[in-house]
Amino acid sequence: MTEIAAEAPALSLVVRAGHVARYGLLAGALLLLASLSFWAPTFWVSIAIQALIFAVFAMSVDLLLGYTGLPSLGQAAFYGTGGLVCAKLALASPGLGLLPLVGASVAGAALLAVPFGALSLRVRGVYFLMLTLAFGQVLWSLAFQTPREWLGGSDGLIGVVRPPLDLLQRIDEQLWLVVGVSPRVAAVRHFYNLTLVAAILTFTALSLLVRSPFGRTLEGIRENEHRMRALGCPTFRYQLAVFVVAGALAGLAGCLLTLFNGFANSSSLYWTNSGLVLIAAIVGGVRTLAGPALGAFVVLIAQDALSSYSQRWPLLLGAIFVGFVLFLPNGLLSTGRVLHALARAGRAGHWS
Amino acid sequence: MRLDVRGLTVRYGAVSALHDLNLAVPSGQRRAVIGPNGAGKTTLFNAIAGDARPTAGSIALNGRDVSRLGSWRRARLGLARTFQRSTLFPDLSVAENLALAIRLRDRRSWRFWPSGERRLRLEVAGRLAAGGLDRVASRSAASLSHGEQRALELELALAARPRLLLLDEPMAGLSGAERGAAVDHLRSLPSDVTLVVVEHDLDAVFAIAQWISVLDHGVLLADGTPEQVRADSRVQEVYLGSRG
Repeated sequence: MTEIAAEAPALSLVVRAGHVARYGLLAGALLLLASLSFWAPTFWVSIAIQALIFAVFAMSVDLLLGYTGLPSLGQAAFYGTGGLVCAKLALASPGLGLLPLVGASVAGAALLAVPFGALSLRVRGVYFLMLTLAFGQVLWSLAFQTPREWLGGSDGLIGVVRPPLDLLQRIDEQLWLVVGVSPRVAAVRHFYNLTLVAAILTFTALSLLVRSPFGRTLEGIRENEHRMRALGCPTFRYQLAVFVVAGALAGLAGCLLTLFNGFANSSSLYWTNSGLVLIAAIVGGVRTLAGPALGAFVVLIAQDALSSYSQRWPLLLGAIFVGFVLFLPNGLLSTGRVLHALARAGRAGHWS
Repeated sequence: MRLDVRGLTVRYGAVSALHDLNLAVPSGQRRAVIGPNGAGKTTLFNAIAGDARPTAGSIALNGRDVSRLGSWRRARLGLARTFQRSTLFPDLSVAENLALAIRLRDRRSWRFWPSGERRLRLEVAGRLAAGGLDRVASRSAASLSHGEQRALELELALAARPRLLLLDEPMAGLSGAERGAAVDHLRSLPSDVTLVVVEHDLDAVFAIAQWISVLDHGVLLADGTPEQVRADSRVQEVYLGSRG
């Protein structure tokens, strides 16, 4: 009994320390990202752009898998669609601003997600996984077989010009004057800021969403869909709504990638993109939003490093993934918790 | 809420789980459904709640035919049920389990901002106290003892403030003390709640029920007051007799 009494306050201190550590890490990561273009070389800034875009994609997958319990392997369909809509529109009407481009891409992906989700949600679990995979691949193959003047065939749609980012540029220059430091990277800097803003907005919006009554209901559906229905919940509507939101966010990520690369290709619809983003979400840790965002950075950097080291990089990435599933199934963000549990088990071992 | 089951047949392949069953439960009645294992009691509940599709027959709530409505629509009409094996939200806290049920009842689930959180917390606290779960409020449902899980299972259904409550073996696996508390809890339900309970514990059945229906092999064997059922020789043969 005395042991328990002595442990209780210590434990609550540990929990509070965990809170502080979590917010500290989040603030540190934000500071690092916000200042990146002041000190990092262009190469790293462009890696960070791709990672931030991938992080938006990974968070959308987490909303489905982590919070609602829907393992989709068809998210590349919306990622690719967002990218293609953006490219098609930018090429069709040059001079179009950023917001119309982003809006159209997001709307296009969301619109596609309605029938895609309604059909896939007729089944659950691994069948859902297979059905989303199948629909995604059907879409990919259709996109590839369209006439060249539609989606550019295997060449893709090239020559997309980034719209000017006046507002961001002005804010940035003001800040730069205040801080008194000149940025190291000039060329992609404003686009980097755009992706950072998009990622932060996605993170914030989803954080609010998952804590709302709607988000709690999603968790209930993940935990026990049958009981939710028995309590009067039309679960299908919630699942479809979430599928559309996740599709829209994947579309946003696809649009940003097109604007960064200056081109879009039907191959972005290919299922390996869905697989890679699932790996990122799981490696980082689903059921948290920071986890998949972190996982996106880890996977993208690992992919970059491994592919310069060996042609068989997917094999190595796969091995890393298996390692995570075996030894850190709750992802990188659970490292602290796992170490804490191990330390406690170790101490308990001493006492006995 | 009045429940009418008319000519209900549920067949799984060649096996007939229920055959041409008729059952009328007037509003506010405490009804027990008893019978040996495999008599079709749980199938009856599944058909009433919308979890099993009837092969023939109909289910009516307050005279309205609900046979074609999904389970969530029937729940919204005021039907709630518990399950033989606890069907909870395992990774969520006990308090959050109850909050989910309350939000669904109040149609507050489709909201993207918190609203009425203080009232919600108050009601959750009341439910926790009623079920004797206040000490485990922040623990996950999966970590509870069997008795606590059964209590939460019941509180989840009660949180919906049902007008028709179906309880599938609420006493299963409970200790003597827990049984007593559960019986008291059920006897204290508002008198306008219609209660249908499937239960093997006959002491609990006779303590709660005003009317007893006996099922055997998917057909209604006997139907009457506890005294009538106790005196029925066929019932003794099939069900009570088996207990020696």
